[in-house]
Amino acid sequence: MKKKTDVVIIGGGVVGTSIAYNLAKNGVTDVVVVERDTLSCGSTGRCAGGVRQQWSEPSNVRLARASIDIFKRFREEMGRDIGLVEGGYLLCAHTDEEAERFKETVAMQREVGADVRIVTPEEMRDITPYLNADGMILGAYCPDDCHGDPFQTTQGYAENAKRLGVDIELHTEVTAIKKKGRRATAVVTNRGEIECNWVVNAAGGYSAEVGAMAGVDIPTKSYRHQIAVTEPIRRIQEPLIVDFCVNIYFCQTAHGSFLAGYGDDTEKPGHNVRSTWQFLQEISRRLTALVPALRDISVVRQWAGLYNMSPDAQPILGKVSDEVENFICAVGFSGHGFMLAPITGVLMAELITYGETRTLPIDGLSIKRFEGGVRSAEANVV
Amino acid sequence: MIETEILVIGGGPAGLCAAVEAAEHGAKVLLLDDKDVLGGQLIKQTHRFFGSQQQYAGVRGIDIAGILIRNAEKFGVELMPGATVTAIYDDGVVLAAAADRTIKIRPEKMVVATGAYENTLAFPNCDLPGVYGAGAVQTLMNVNGVAPGERVLMVGAGNIGLIVTYQLLQAGIRVAAIVEAADKVGGYYVHANKIRRLGVPILLRHTVKYALGKDGVEGAVIVRLDDKFRPVTGTERALDVDTICLAVGLTPLTELLWNAGCEMKYVSQLGGHVAWHDEDMRTSRGDIYVAGDASGIEEASSAMIEGKVAGLNAAYMLKRDTGLTSEVREERLKNYHDQLYRLRRGPFGEKARVGKSVLTGAPMPAAGPIESTPHSDATFSKGARVVIECEQNIPCNPCEATCPHGAITVGDDIVNYPVLDPARCNACGICVVNCPGLALFVINRDYSETETEIMLPYEFLPLPNKGDRVDAFDRKGNFACRATVSRVIKSKKFDRTALVSLVVEDKYADVVRSFRVNGGQKTERTEKAAGDVPDDMDTVICVCEDVTRRQIEEAIDRDGARSIDEIKRLLRCGMGPCQGKTCQRLIMQILSRKLNRNIEEFKPQTYRGPMKPVPLGLLAKANNEEKD
Repeated sequence: MKKKTDVVIIGGGVVGTSIAYNLAKNGVTDVVVVERDTLSCGSTGRCAGGVRQQWSEPSNVRLARASIDIFKRFREEMGRDIGLVEGGYLLCAHTDEEAERFKETVAMQREVGADVRIVTPEEMRDITPYLNADGMILGAYCPDDCHGDPFQTTQGYAENAKRLGVDIELHTEVTAIKKKGRRATAVVTNRGEIECNWVVNAAGGYSAEVGAMAGVDIPTKSYRHQIAVTEPIRRIQEPLIVDFCVNIYFCQTAHGSFLAGYGDDTEKPGHNVRSTWQFLQEISRRLTALVPALRDISVVRQWAGLYNMSPDAQPILGKVSDEVENFICAVGFSGHGFMLAPITGVLMAELITYGETRTLPIDGLSIKRFEGGVRSAEANVV
Repeated sequence: MIETEILVIGGGPAGLCAAVEAAEHGAKVLLLDDKDVLGGQLIKQTHRFFGSQQQYAGVRGIDIAGILIRNAEKFGVELMPGATVTAIYDDGVVLAAAADRTIKIRPEKMVVATGAYENTLAFPNCDLPGVYGAGAVQTLMNVNGVAPGERVLMVGAGNIGLIVTYQLLQAGIRVAAIVEAADKVGGYYVHANKIRRLGVPILLRHTVKYALGKDGVEGAVIVRLDDKFRPVTGTERALDVDTICLAVGLTPLTELLWNAGCEMKYVSQLGGHVAWHDEDMRTSRGDIYVAGDASGIEEASSAMIEGKVAGLNAAYMLKRDTGLTSEVREERLKNYHDQLYRLRRGPFGEKARVGKSVLTGAPMPAAGPIESTPHSDATFSKGARVVIECEQNIPCNPCEATCPHGAITVGDDIVNYPVLDPARCNACGICVVNCPGLALFVINRDYSETETEIMLPYEFLPLPNKGDRVDAFDRKGNFACRATVSRVIKSKKFDRTALVSLVVEDKYADVVRSFRVNGGQKTERTEKAAGDVPDDMDTVICVCEDVTRRQIEEAIDRDGARSIDEIKRLLRCGMGPCQGKTCQRLIMQILSRKLNRNIEEFKPQTYRGPMKPVPLGLLAKANNEEKD
């Protein structure tokens, strides 16, 4: 392991490896990614892999749109198939109030440039014939949205970063961050110390803990979210479907299995990623209610991961210059780290390479936005 | 939600004995098994068991299952066959799935007696239909009454390979050969002798190289191995078989224990990873006990005793006073540990003896001196008496126990060789019937001036008739002479083993040890053309997800994967319905070889419930019912 480097990235998930790859692409190749276990062993490897533009906050829509372009070029650029299912996203509305809100956000999303439209229950059935749309008033459909395989994506970033000269140190746990004045000077790990010019916090579910090592108070909290996966069947569903009322999202992966999950509002923050029988039963009820044809299909596994929630459910990106001027955060993705990772990598690499982002502005996503409370929170979280 | 004091997971010999023991001492016990018929592997075992009377020695496995089930019913154990435990959750709830419902149980203590699963071998075309595990072959034949094929190659000469070969022959199926990679038979020699004299060759230092066929097995190419287990080029031989049966060992089935967070340890002598447990069979999670193969691969006899130890201790540790006093517990435990000690004393108990000591760190119990010379004596020249051809220190004593004249002595130490007192033997043949190894014969040298009568145990149909002329064979299955059947004795008491006496010329008295009524197993091996040699890199390692050796080696070489979990994430191997039970050991072997590290350094993949696929509809139904 290097003793001295330019950039240390903490976290070998999709965000950390994406930043590493983009840095190297910009010519910043003296980079070390430290991961305490193995690639994508945290939230990345536990997520469903959805990629959507249908957000209530314009900045989220912009980030997601930019990410989708990268996802669709991924195979060409990185030489790895990430099992992308370009089947869109379908959001379901059950109440008049929800329908109104959908119409408003769709208008905003269209303004930002997303190809989203309101669809009737009949159209929803055309899009995905096995959906039980009874009681639904309308849907919001974006055919451009997609879902992919988080493991392959992370592997693609990691192997290309390595090809360009980045070091990825697995089984390397960060235990402290050394500082001198307002600068982080070194990252201390169980395998030794790395002196560096930049420290990037891409620690996912442990972002606040890593922040604390640098003396930075990051207002994120981690919450357990569970997922169940079925045996594979022939393709019967293209879009990833989200139903806020029922509280569920589910998709059929490229492999043919169905993935389904929901967030439990009663969860307390923490790092527990053990599974529960209550979730298994409840997700089965919700999923079979919406797609009755799945009744005889079997669940083969269940697991849990962490949503690293920020106060407004939007990521915290960029410098935290007041406390530590060379400490960069790419945290608090609030369950949407996978889909925002491609653009996050581009932006964080630009920030380190050029001192500013060039593709998109990120001022609104700075940690400073929480001074004086949360102004506008992302509503489309599931 | 079912509330119970003790939940026993697994209805094989260990689980049933645990349940009976706990219930006998007043505990409320529920037993679940994933199969519709209780008894575990016992229900497939048509042979008589070894061991001592306390472990039902001399009784056929299938009948032991019946005895244990009746005991469980007698003591009020609630039996729930056809219910698979799918996970043990952190809140202590155990979820199980039956055909038409899911079941949730909240037990105070659990005994995990889930047994083992079969190891497999990876060779080109091993994913063809017609390649079976020995357990599957037994299930097909002995539970479902279906012949797996017509011509079989058996891989592995441990007890399972030998026993299943015998069962195949009994079912009228041809066994071309047994191949065994080691330089000696791993199972009991008495089992090996049973099939050798029926004409099945046991090829030591041989293995299967690849299977032939396109849509199913059409042949098997076998190859000789050198003393480092490397195939010797040029020794390949194609056998004309339609079935390849793998009997290459067992691995403890511990996924529930991993899932429940028990401390696990790799102990090669016990067959792989097992839950750490103490002498009371208690794991690091105080509420979970283990017993039987799940706690280390051994025989059914010791599984039963371990079950009793686990059941007794689980009952004793209940919050409620069941009336089980510490004196009774200690007395019983002493007895059970003594039985285990005796079973594990001989050479066949060594693995368990060493393994359990490695596991707990406790000193290994001394084996003590063991007799080293068999007492077989066939040199007598006059009269009639039994000849004992028992040549290993097997823990077994039905010959002594059933002899009505006290003519055979094994003694307290059941791994000793039986000793015959010729003066007491009246050549009745009772011991011949009851020997689980079919290793006793009665020789009557006075049949006539020139002829000897040999009484053999016979477990094939049809039985010959008195006066029939039959082909008689030597111990290796070679034709010796023609013989005349002089007696056929069937009796209910003999439990399906007949006694058949043959009359042969005197010179064949110590040669002839088997016969065939009409043809039966032929000794010749039909060989066929070897065909194109398939590429071993195309061998399918993960059958659920169709992952080849090439893909796994690339994941290690190119993608830098260094653990099972990393390979799983890249290739999906282990994500299928079997959750890696089949491929994991093979992948560990590949990792170990490529990275030059010991196999125990590799942790199995993270086990996640449900351990067996459960239909969404069943889970949904359970939830709806709770809401109503």
